[in-house]
Amino acid sequence: MGSGYLLRKVSSAIVTIVFIVLFNFVLFRLMPGSPDRLLRNPHITEQTRAEYRARWGLDKPIPEQLVNYVVATAKGDLGLSVYFRNQPVVDVLANRILPTVVLFGAGEVVAIVLGIALGAYSGWRRGGPVDYVGNGISLILYSMPYFVIGMLLLLLFVTALHWFPPAGLQSLGVRYASIFDELIDYGRHFFLPVTTVAIGLIGQYSILMRSSIIETLGEDYITTARAKGLKSGRILRDHALPNAMLPAVTLVAINLGYVVAGAITVEVVFNWPGLGTLTVDALANRDYPVLQGIFLLLSIAVVVANLIADLVYGALDPRVRT
Amino acid sequence: MTASTAGPGPAAADAVTSRRVGRREWPLPKQADPDARLLVVENLRTYFALESGTVRAVDGVSFTLDYGEALGIAGESGCGKTTTALSLVRLLPSNASTRGSIKLMGIELTSKSEVQLRRYRWREISIVFQGAMNALNPVRRVRDQIAEPLEQRLGQKPAAARKRAGELLELVGIPRRRGAAYPHELSGGMRQRAMIAMALACDPAIVIGDEPTTALDVMVQAQILELLERLRSELGLSLILITHDLSVIAETCDRTLIMYAGKVAEEGSVDVVFRTPRHPYTQKLLAAFPDIQADRRTLDVIPGQPPDLRDPPPGCRFAPRCPMVMEVCREVVPPEIWFADGVRVACHLYPEDSDGTPVLIPVEPLVGAGATNGKAT
Amino acid sequence: MTATATTLDPGALRRERWRLRVRGWRESGARFLHRRDGVIGLVIILAFAVLAIAPDLLVGPLQTVTTATGHKFEPPGATHPFGTDNLGRDMLNLTVHGTRISMVIGLLATVITVLVGAVLGIISGYVGGSLDAVIMRVTDFFLVLPTFVLALVLAPIILDIVGLDAAFFGIKATLFVIVIVIGATSWASTARIIRAQTLSVKERAFVDRARAIGAGGGHIMRRHILPNVVNLIVANTVLVFAGSVLTETTLSFVGLGDPFAPSWGQILNAAQTSGAPGLGIWWYYVPPATAIVLVVLAFTLMGSALDDVLNPRLRSRR
Repeated sequence: MGSGYLLRKVSSAIVTIVFIVLFNFVLFRLMPGSPDRLLRNPHITEQTRAEYRARWGLDKPIPEQLVNYVVATAKGDLGLSVYFRNQPVVDVLANRILPTVVLFGAGEVVAIVLGIALGAYSGWRRGGPVDYVGNGISLILYSMPYFVIGMLLLLLFVTALHWFPPAGLQSLGVRYASIFDELIDYGRHFFLPVTTVAIGLIGQYSILMRSSIIETLGEDYITTARAKGLKSGRILRDHALPNAMLPAVTLVAINLGYVVAGAITVEVVFNWPGLGTLTVDALANRDYPVLQGIFLLLSIAVVVANLIADLVYGALDPRVRT
Repeated sequence: MTASTAGPGPAAADAVTSRRVGRREWPLPKQADPDARLLVVENLRTYFALESGTVRAVDGVSFTLDYGEALGIAGESGCGKTTTALSLVRLLPSNASTRGSIKLMGIELTSKSEVQLRRYRWREISIVFQGAMNALNPVRRVRDQIAEPLEQRLGQKPAAARKRAGELLELVGIPRRRGAAYPHELSGGMRQRAMIAMALACDPAIVIGDEPTTALDVMVQAQILELLERLRSELGLSLILITHDLSVIAETCDRTLIMYAGKVAEEGSVDVVFRTPRHPYTQKLLAAFPDIQADRRTLDVIPGQPPDLRDPPPGCRFAPRCPMVMEVCREVVPPEIWFADGVRVACHLYPEDSDGTPVLIPVEPLVGAGATNGKAT
Repeated sequence: MTATATTLDPGALRRERWRLRVRGWRESGARFLHRRDGVIGLVIILAFAVLAIAPDLLVGPLQTVTTATGHKFEPPGATHPFGTDNLGRDMLNLTVHGTRISMVIGLLATVITVLVGAVLGIISGYVGGSLDAVIMRVTDFFLVLPTFVLALVLAPIILDIVGLDAAFFGIKATLFVIVIVIGATSWASTARIIRAQTLSVKERAFVDRARAIGAGGGHIMRRHILPNVVNLIVANTVLVFAGSVLTETTLSFVGLGDPFAPSWGQILNAAQTSGAPGLGIWWYYVPPATAIVLVVLAFTLMGSALDDVLNPRLRSRR
């Protein structure tokens, strides 16, 4: 891959992250409950005020505050949580990252694989029964907020059928006979939330892939491939799919922002102890440092994911590398 | 630059007999008849089923092609020339149906199933498409696309295929190293050459060029035509060139087939047809070509539009626009008549008993020093 | 050559333009009505519009804790076709009233989004140069941000600035915040689309001609670019509406809604917090969920049908 392309994308990502940090700083100033706002509360004694001022460095001029803030952020100091009794925000976040990543990651992977396969097949066998049914279902799923899907699955499989345990990461107060049992328990709790995220995403990927395949199949190089006497399967695999996948990669990147929203709400439905439930709790408890920390973390994560998607796209499509 | 005699590998297993043309040995496919003509197309009809009706894009076209010959199919856009060529290897969309007889080396292609027909694609008949930018896969390297038929159709190993691809590139005048490039990294002319190299990969008997030079500028056009001519003589290829540009046909082809609205208007050797055109459409086509030495102010255009092929007019399809139209033309389809000089015409001006003297259409006389007005021979 | 044209009557020209424009609309309308998906979408939207305009006529005033007509968590039956919620309120009543709130918020948010997005898109595309570069940088930035999280972060800030009890146009502050926040986070995508279209319109000959006769930028943008971009704006607006309803639902679900003016998302939030899913009280959330899905689906269908009708893309055929 051309180093120019790589350089451009990485530097663009870095610039964006810088902007995000700056943006966060501005929010920090504006946020209700951010130290100096709190300090305007007339009930706080002058002494407490002075203490806070010194602690948060509010008596320094703004540019210096900015530098301090950036440095502190880079070092991993994101402030203290209001709700969690002054625990460092970083620690609070660290506890919750893994469940979210697992949920989100597994859901995306499943959705991408199934969605692309389904979409490609629908497009290839256009007008067939799979196409109609698949398209209809995809459209409906696309219109459902993720948490609605989650609620319905919960209703059906937990409450009605009792196939899966309700909510949470693992059963409470249970001792496991072996690590194997523990894993199975995780798995049973894990299944529905991941399925929810996957179902929510599949619709988009399959619809996109379908139209992408249809458009690709109309291209002249497919006619060339047929003229070469290649077998259908090979044409699909070597000529159609590599080109049709390109919009899908772009979609994954664009989607990330929205999937985050979905994942948050899915966590709420299933009481999944990840960043999503943390966000909602923080919102309810007006724990602004935590909210801000989540925003920073998720924004940077999305930027990085976008960067990765861009690089993958560059690896797949030589035309953008020039 | 000679063609490599390394040639196709296991394909030789197919060849029972071979035929010598020029300096090359042609391995013939199993079912081929070594004494048959290379290509005999009889009464080819290709119809497209649309919502609004059936488009009779090719309606009774017949022609032949011999080993080492170059046939130029000419006509306006939409006259069915590309459809004719694609019909030979059944490369049309699913709403098309083809009838008639297509005999390749004596093998009847129309009765073959899709799987059986695939055997002949690229290995006997290959196509160089118009607009190589779109006809090449943008995400694969050029040499890989050339090597693909070698690996897939001839069973060569990847290394051998890549080597051969390099040789083919050299053959068409592209440095071997450039094969590692992607299509968008090559210039238009080089892309077209690459397509030609790709078309030659399996040593086909016939190469069809579908407007191979249309998208190129004149200098590059000349180079491509020169290349085709050289390959033809060196490799003993037969060419079918499809174009609306008569000068290309005049320069490169032995015979020409003039099509109009899905039917053959005139056919014969380029020399005869271009010098003494008989069919009014042919004459109009030639007259529409600007004469660089003449001084005419306006182009002699053909007024009107080609007919709607869902509902073609009864009788001669050119009748609505023909300056020599007669009553019979509107009612009866003109029969094809052969003449002594090898020309075939479908026009009521030349009935069964005609002696073949061309009936000239009235044209605006040319002015200027070099204008011949068709009078010189 | 001397001018042989008769003097041009500006009034007649304007009328002629209108005539052509109206005819264009009528043709588009006819083509739209031929598309099954678009029509289905339209019918559904109209049905909901009726519910949104006059909920009181259909189910009576919005029930509150004090005016609840049933017992807690009554399953669907004769008196309450959709059952009751945890306060004993009739679910049908709640769902129908939720229509207006959800749709109004969606509508306002869409207006902001499209207004900001289209204006910025056209200006950025037409003016070009460094202004374009700056606007695009900002747009890209907003596109990358996870807008949902941004919304959650912005909401309390705006609330704090505005004050919890303020009301705008009869809408409580929390809901208004949702409108602002959706607008602030969704405009970027519209801006990008409109800018792309502006760029391609800008290349067309008539813009050059207008410039040649000395027309100013504002005039060109208003009279030449806008009419050619408006089709895309219309199709985009419908899809933005779908997205706004979805976003509002999600934002309300996580707690930003107003319990006293419950949108569908707010009803779902109440359902979740009152434990309905675990208790099997499916009627608490199936009606509002179905309503959301229907509305979003309808807008999506209509939007893509409109897009096809208004922006025909030529497909190359051999």
